[in-house]
Parts: sequence; structure tokens; C-alpha cells
Amino acid sequence: MTGILIKRPERFVETDIDDEVVVMDLDSGNFFSLKDTALEIWRLVDGSRTSADIVAEIAAAYDLTESELAADIAAFLDQAQAAGLLEAQ
Amino acid sequence: MNTAPTLAHPALAMLARENQLREGTAPRELGGVTVEPGRHWLHEDCFLLHTSSGLRFFYRKGEGVIIERPAGPSDPAEEYLWCNGSIYAAIACINGLYPIHASAVACNGQVFAFTGPSGAGKSTLVAQLTRHALPMFCDDTLVLDLSQPGQVLCLPGHKRLKLWPDAVELTGARPAEQVMASVPKFYSEPAGGTVVDVLPLAELCFLEDGDHARIEPLHGGEKMVRLQDDHYTTDMIMAASRPDRIARFAQLANLARTIRLTRFVRPRDASRFAVDAGLVERHVKAMAGQVSEQSR
Repeated sequence: MTGILIKRPERFVETDIDDEVVVMDLDSGNFFSLKDTALEIWRLVDGSRTSADIVAEIAAAYDLTESELAADIAAFLDQAQAAGLLEAQ
Repeated sequence: MNTAPTLAHPALAMLARENQLREGTAPRELGGVTVEPGRHWLHEDCFLLHTSSGLRFFYRKGEGVIIERPAGPSDPAEEYLWCNGSIYAAIACINGLYPIHASAVACNGQVFAFTGPSGAGKSTLVAQLTRHALPMFCDDTLVLDLSQPGQVLCLPGHKRLKLWPDAVELTGARPAEQVMASVPKFYSEPAGGTVVDVLPLAELCFLEDGDHARIEPLHGGEKMVRLQDDHYTTDMIMAASRPDRIARFAQLANLARTIRLTRFVRPRDASRFAVDAGLVERHVKAMAGQVSEQSR
């Protein structure tokens, strides 16, 4: 996934419950519960970062190499994109 | 000891008024839908129920309930069951209340409710808890008032406790008459009496089967998912208030933030029942004491 990542707020609603963010896909009614690293990635999708930028920020925050994280982060972003919650521009 | 409800909360007076029954002719269809025997339909501010035995009940907001009996002998026990079951829940929904499938006890001015599908053990657990100074608040249906921001109020139960014969034996409840000829359950007097005040909901506990007894808190997204699954009343709530997905999401999120949610997992083993129910008793008393301390 290349390009700047942006959320598609017309496709979902979200709310904070405890230490999680619960996202509902407005088309399907399905819930997605985001916590820990998934929640950090979700919050970094703010219209100013690419997938590579997010990998770099998470790697720096946890003192890991980008190669250790890239596949997991790409998988999460692909899943969110497939659900229509975000897109790359 | 039972005392007469004071009707201090306006919703109690409303429910008493709206549930008044009179004989008449019920319509055959509602909102263009013909209601066949064994079916019900809720449309806008009306509810139509046609039972397999031929009874018809029709409710319209502000007008009470019409009952149309088929020719032949009627069974007051069956009518009581319908009036206090589906019809009561429909009237609550149509009038902005939120009934859930739960039985509950009261402790320190708060309600602790137990939910699960039919047969999950809600009534049996509550009957047992009443033996330990936790009076019954309701059986089978808990009607919630969500109109106060940040608070979930519970309206006191309107149904008598119903137990299977094995649950009567297990809990030491005092059995009264059989519910009806075709329903081998018995109305029972809970050993610890009942509470008839409007009280805040402290906790909603989901009853689950498992290999060993434990009580676990629910968190985050799981709360939202579990609150969606409140069994027979969800369809009525949705039909009555017709919330769009965003409004329903906001409603569930508000509930998830306001109520503590837990699960009580235990083996369905009669020989362990009293011990495992004791775990719940101690949990309820500890949590009620904690909340009470915090509110001082």
C-alpha cells in the first residue's frame, strides 16, 4: 500500500470504550475492536502519513527494526482498507 | 418481605396504566402484516400478538391492551403469562424503555443482573442468592430507563419467580402453583423476598458454561458485542425505536461505558451449584460495598 493513508469517516463510526477504540462499519454493521499496536496504527492514519511512515514511527517507538514490523502493519492496513475504513491517495 | 410499589418513578405509573386490559376486538393485521397464530408484530406505536391458543392482544400507545378471547374456556394463567411477558416488553419498548432478558438481585441500593439465553440459569441463580440476604429485584425481564445521562435505572420486576422443579429443590425456594398445565414450572417465593424500588444498575453479568467457576470483567469491544446479543428483546427494541446504525451504536456505547459488565463461567453441575453461587454472592456483596464506599 503506497501513498498517504486517509480514513473514510463516511464509512464508519468509532468510540472509545475502556482502553480500546470500537469501530463499526456502517455498511455491514460489523464491529472492529482496536487496542495496543492496532490502535496506535489507527491513530497514525491521519491524512499525513504513508504506510512506510507509520512503520518507521512504530519501530522507533518500540525500538524495533522496520523489517520486524512491516508485514504485521501492512496486514492490518490491508484489512482496514478491504473493510473500506481507509484508503491510500 | 414484599411491599406494594410506590409508583414514584413516572415510568412505573405509565406501565401500570398502559398494561390495563379490556375485552374487545383485535385487528387481524398491523402495518399491512397479517399476524398468524404464534406470531407477533410491532409497528410504530402498536403491538399485535396472536397466540397459538387463539388469544389476540392488541396494544396501542395511550389506549391500553385489548384482549380478544376465542370461543370456549379461557385460561387466566396463560393470559397472565402473555401480559407479563411479550406484551409488557412491547409496551416498555414502545414507551421508550429498554427491557433486557435478565434476572436480578439488589444489594446496597444497586441492582446486579444476570443475563443469558433461556435455560442459562438466571432464575435459579437469583433464587439461590436470595437465600443469602440478596433480595430478588426481577425475574426474566429487567426493564431499564436510559433517559438519565450517565445512569441506568432499573424498574422493579413485575413477574413472579418461575422455577423448574429441580431448581426449586436446588435453591430451597417455596413453590406455589404450577405456571400452567402445559408449562411444568412453578411460581416460587424467593427465600429472601423482593425489592420494589427503582434502583441504578451496577452490573450486568453474562452466564456461561465452562470448566471451572470464575467471574471475569468484560472490556472494550466485547462489551458492545455482548450488549447487542440480549436475546428476545432486541428485535422489539429495534422495531419500536427504529434507530439507524449510528444511533444504535451510540446507545450500545453509552451502555458499555455506564454499566460494569462481567461473565460468570461455571460448570453446570448440581453438586457444585451452591459453592459456585457463593462466588457470585461474595462478588456482589464486595462490589456493592465498593461502590457504596466510593459514593460517600
